[in-house]
Amino acid sequence: MTNKTRKSLTLQMLLFELRNITGNPYVHLFGIAMPILMSYIIIRGVTMEVSDPALLCTISTSVFLGIGVVIPMAIALMGYAATRAQEMEKGIPERLELFGIRSSITLCNRIAAELIFILVVFILYFVYGCLFLELEPPKASGAVIYTISMLALTIILLCIAHGIASILKKFGPTYCVVMILYFTLMLFSGMMGLSYDNMPSGIQFVAKLLPTTYLNKDIYTIWVGESCRFAPMIQSYLLWAVIAGILLVTTAEIKQKYHKLP
Amino acid sequence: MLLSIENLTVRYGPETALNIDQPIHIEEGERIGIIGSNGAGKTTLVKSILGLVPYQGTIQTALTRDQIAVHMQFNEYADSMPVKYIMEAILETKISKNKKLQELIGYFEFGECLKKRYTKLSGGQKQRFTIILVMMQEAPLTFYDEVTSGLDFETRQKLMEKLANWYRNKNSSLCIVSHYYDELENLVDKLLILDKGRVVAYGKTEELFRRYCGRAVIILDNTPENEILVKDHKRLAAPAHLIALSCDNESDEREVTSRLLAHNKNYKHSSRDIEILSINAKKALFMKSEGISYDK
Ligand SMILES: Nc1ncnc2c1ncn2[C@@H]1O[C@H](COP(=O)(O)OP(=O)(O)OP(=O)(O)O)[C@@H](O)[C@H]1O
Ligand SMILES: [Mg+2]
Repeated sequence: MTNKTRKSLTLQMLLFELRNITGNPYVHLFGIAMPILMSYIIIRGVTMEVSDPALLCTISTSVFLGIGVVIPMAIALMGYAATRAQEMEKGIPERLELFGIRSSITLCNRIAAELIFILVVFILYFVYGCLFLELEPPKASGAVIYTISMLALTIILLCIAHGIASILKKFGPTYCVVMILYFTLMLFSGMMGLSYDNMPSGIQFVAKLLPTTYLNKDIYTIWVGESCRFAPMIQSYLLWAVIAGILLVTTAEIKQKYHKLP
Repeated sequence: MLLSIENLTVRYGPETALNIDQPIHIEEGERIGIIGSNGAGKTTLVKSILGLVPYQGTIQTALTRDQIAVHMQFNEYADSMPVKYIMEAILETKISKNKKLQELIGYFEFGECLKKRYTKLSGGQKQRFTIILVMMQEAPLTFYDEVTSGLDFETRQKLMEKLANWYRNKNSSLCIVSHYYDELENLVDKLLILDKGRVVAYGKTEELFRRYCGRAVIILDNTPENEILVKDHKRLAAPAHLIALSCDNESDEREVTSRLLAHNKNYKHSSRDIEILSINAKKALFMKSEGISYDK
């Protein structure tokens, strides 16, 4: 191993990270079971009085797609932050670095593993949706954009979770911060009952900054291939990507404080 | 030279954990034992060399980070999977395809443990897991920080013996932190004795022994009877339950041992007892700081 530089992505590391994800029970509960249950209950609730099959289909699809946002939020944000904070507490990243596995390598493999995992979860989610709910089939462009936006959100949330946990280093504070972030995102992006159109303008302003808002309110339009303004959505993604980037840089800076062997 | 340390100071808040003023050089192929009581700064020294704690002073080395391997005092790994997968990820290999790794797993009798999770391993098994990973690195410089702490006597001995055998004909430098002097005696040729963050002594074990203890020491139980028997012989500092006598030449040695034999007393003869050595080196340092010259 001496003198051999490690590749950023290897099969062993990828499998290792996948096992790390699936070994976290939280992910199964809040990332898989909860969205399925939530979408079922909410869709049953709101469509109880609807008799028009076309309308029923529209509502179901819209709610179903919106709730899909919970998957990356639970898995990449909360689930990963919990895992990362726990390993920070135990000094596992430091131990891995001593074996020559830099945190950038870890992060790289983690992003790849989370993307694979989230993709699988979405497939399961849609299999369930097709079996038990009336869903409208997407336009090809809609399906592609939906997938890309969910995966991009996953990467951003993962980096944010990584940054927060690496900076705070403790499970308690990390969990607290991520929990607040989770519910803030849910609330402001209209997933807790208050929809975007009914928000006071101040709250609307905040909502506009969140990618999750668009994934909730515009996603049906995108899904069925109707025209939609993408600029605000892309801007919100960029904003959050910058936030994630700043957090990662801060993490790296904190580590650089000490001398490092070449 | 592999590594050199000069004027190293490590502070944790107001507390100075380490303050090394004499130069420390580690040469290729050396086996160095690092000893000192709890809190002496041994782990801090290892951590500063690895760049894990902020320090003042200079640590110079031509080695890259990948060329220094380390078994830390505490090692933790993910608990979400059997250790086999952790091993394969860290070493970027498959056990089934890696002869050298298979050999090490066999050598440390770790095969049965591969399918267990890390927290389910016993203390000794945990230590062996890290040892295997560290050995696989084949680094020119390797640190072992208390590999045997918390293990029972037999396991400890077996582990140290395996470690010693493994490195016997290899040229890697080792720095071994340990509280068990007996296991160091067979493994190291140099000693770094630390106390309260300061260097008490650093050098070849033999030389240090000569300087602080003489040619050899005779160690016996501290009983009133023994006390009378050896009362006019040159005494060294020793743990309360022991008497340690310094012998500068063979006739000296013969004289004491024959007297002890005549009275049917048990004694131990040693020319490398690290415990007596470190106690006397500490005493010498203390006397020096008080302005008294040390004469064993
Ligand atoms: N992270 C830390 N923060 C504050 N103080 C620390 C920290 N790590 C170590 N110390 C202090 O520095 C001193 C040296 O600690 P160190 O761990 O180096 O001792 P050691 O010689 O390895 O002891 P042991 O034999 O118990 O492992 C101790 O007084 C310890 O309390
Ligand atoms: Mg220690």
